[in-house]
Amino acid sequence: MTGILLLRALSVRNQRVWVVFLALMVGAAIVNALISVYFDIDIKMSRELRTFGANVYLGPAHGHSLPEADFDRLAAAAPPGLVAAGSPYLYGTARSELENVALAGVRFSALRALVPYWQVEGAWIGVDFDDRNAMIGRTLAARLNLAVGDSLSLIRDGRKKTLRIKGIIDAGDASDSLLFVGLELAQDWLDKPGTMSHALFSMMNRAGEVERFADELRAAHPDWAVRPIRKVSANEGDVLVKIQGLMGLVSIVILLLSTLCVNTSLTAIVSERQREFALQKALGAANGTIIRQVLLETLAISLAATVVGCLAGFVLAQVLGQTVFSASIGLRAWVLPITFALSLSVALAAAALPLRRIMYIQPASVLKGE
Amino acid sequence: MPEETRENPVAAIEARHLSRRFGSVAALDDASFAIARGEFVALMGASGSGKTTLMNLLTCLDTPSSGELRLNGVDAAGFDEEARREFRARHIGLVFQQFHLIPYLSALENVMLAQHYHSVTDEASARRALEDVGLAHRLDHLPSELSGGEQQRVCIARALVNEPPLLFADEPTGNLDAENEARVLDILRRLHGEGRTIVMVTHNPALGAYAQRIIRLQHGRIVP
Repeated sequence: MTGILLLRALSVRNQRVWVVFLALMVGAAIVNALISVYFDIDIKMSRELRTFGANVYLGPAHGHSLPEADFDRLAAAAPPGLVAAGSPYLYGTARSELENVALAGVRFSALRALVPYWQVEGAWIGVDFDDRNAMIGRTLAARLNLAVGDSLSLIRDGRKKTLRIKGIIDAGDASDSLLFVGLELAQDWLDKPGTMSHALFSMMNRAGEVERFADELRAAHPDWAVRPIRKVSANEGDVLVKIQGLMGLVSIVILLLSTLCVNTSLTAIVSERQREFALQKALGAANGTIIRQVLLETLAISLAATVVGCLAGFVLAQVLGQTVFSASIGLRAWVLPITFALSLSVALAAAALPLRRIMYIQPASVLKGE
Repeated sequence: MPEETRENPVAAIEARHLSRRFGSVAALDDASFAIARGEFVALMGASGSGKTTLMNLLTCLDTPSSGELRLNGVDAAGFDEEARREFRARHIGLVFQQFHLIPYLSALENVMLAQHYHSVTDEASARRALEDVGLAHRLDHLPSELSGGEQQRVCIARALVNEPPLLFADEPTGNLDAENEARVLDILRRLHGEGRTIVMVTHNPALGAYAQRIIRLQHGRIVP
């Protein structure tokens, strides 16, 4: 009989049941999507902010240089997936056929990930072993009157090394005055084999992981100066906290609105069914029996709405992921129980007052139409 | 529920100095009467005479302000809400003027609803109850598909399905045409013939004449 009452009661109040269903479904969908994005956002944001370039500096604590091997030691010590890109940098002065130039040796293969904001006329150099091409800052290029495709010769102790300009860099910083060559060539030309001035890394800053890793490295290697480049890392953390806070706030507002909407609909349903409940009481139904019956109806709608809401939420999360981060949002199984718990809590909170009204229905007066 | 005691083994209903006040207004004032088991009694009076108030007390839908009330030998005056609910489910059958059928349940399911709140549902006995009031062909019809007379007969079947010792009918033919009124009264007479205690509220003297005895109310008091 309970099953019959449940199914029939739901089927005859299509409009109100649909309102409750939609309110809970929309709430579940948005909350599900925001929770999914919330827990994915640090990774996605970190990737986005990597476009601002390197965020970790490794240099000597004392002196002017470090062994190049330290670069590899740091990379090996990093947790898996933390280091997105990195390159040793070696600086020095070289004499060209025209005038002295500031030389920077780098691993070209990592350069694009470390300085993605560079505007390059011509082309990037893609491989580390290229010792016939160079990239030049636009200020230096202008001073030497060099264009893409031109050649520049370095001269030292009777040796001459001719480099073809493959790309002119517009970085908006000191790089505009540098000549970039392969690290090995720079080490050889500056006579500093196996040495670097410092190294720059681009790391994924998941939940402040970079700060923690830097602290560990400082403790383990007192001869290293390791520091996050706060311009990016700190902003990254701040932005994450703000966005996550905003998402939490939006979720709370959505849940409150859902609760209000469900509460209004359930109040109307209880009011419409007053005679029915009065009759049930007159026939001997206890308050608890009727409340359980309405609660069961509410939970049935909630469960159906949450299942559909979770599916819609997953789709919405993908839309948000693609729109904002151009990446898909991972499906986390544990988001589902959280969504179900929140959705059912909303339904129960919304039902509390209407259910309480059932207790005060007086069958004698209601059945008499008073 | 209080243990059954039989001060008057013949009385189905026994009221002594029964009163019900709403604030300073006495809707029922010092009513004393007894209704024997198997008796068919009509409660009559004009509007506002206290019929409904008395009916609500006798059907355990309300509690008296003062006085004694024994229903089927049980002291009902001091019932709390739970005891009144349980007594209604087990001992009282209710027939309403406005039928009060659940609109989304069939005739059979409406009858089974009373079983559900009494103990357990039994489709066979629910069918028999409907057959007894001549609705064997209307079992699966919704109330909206039944005439007023048929709806009232479903209401009677629902009141009888648990075989309660006390049957209360509140203006049972108030919403019916003459043909259906006669049919419903025939059923009540038959039930009376089978030994059931029936209390019928009516303001219609013609209906009151069907009862064995009339209890008249005026301004909340029983009058000779």
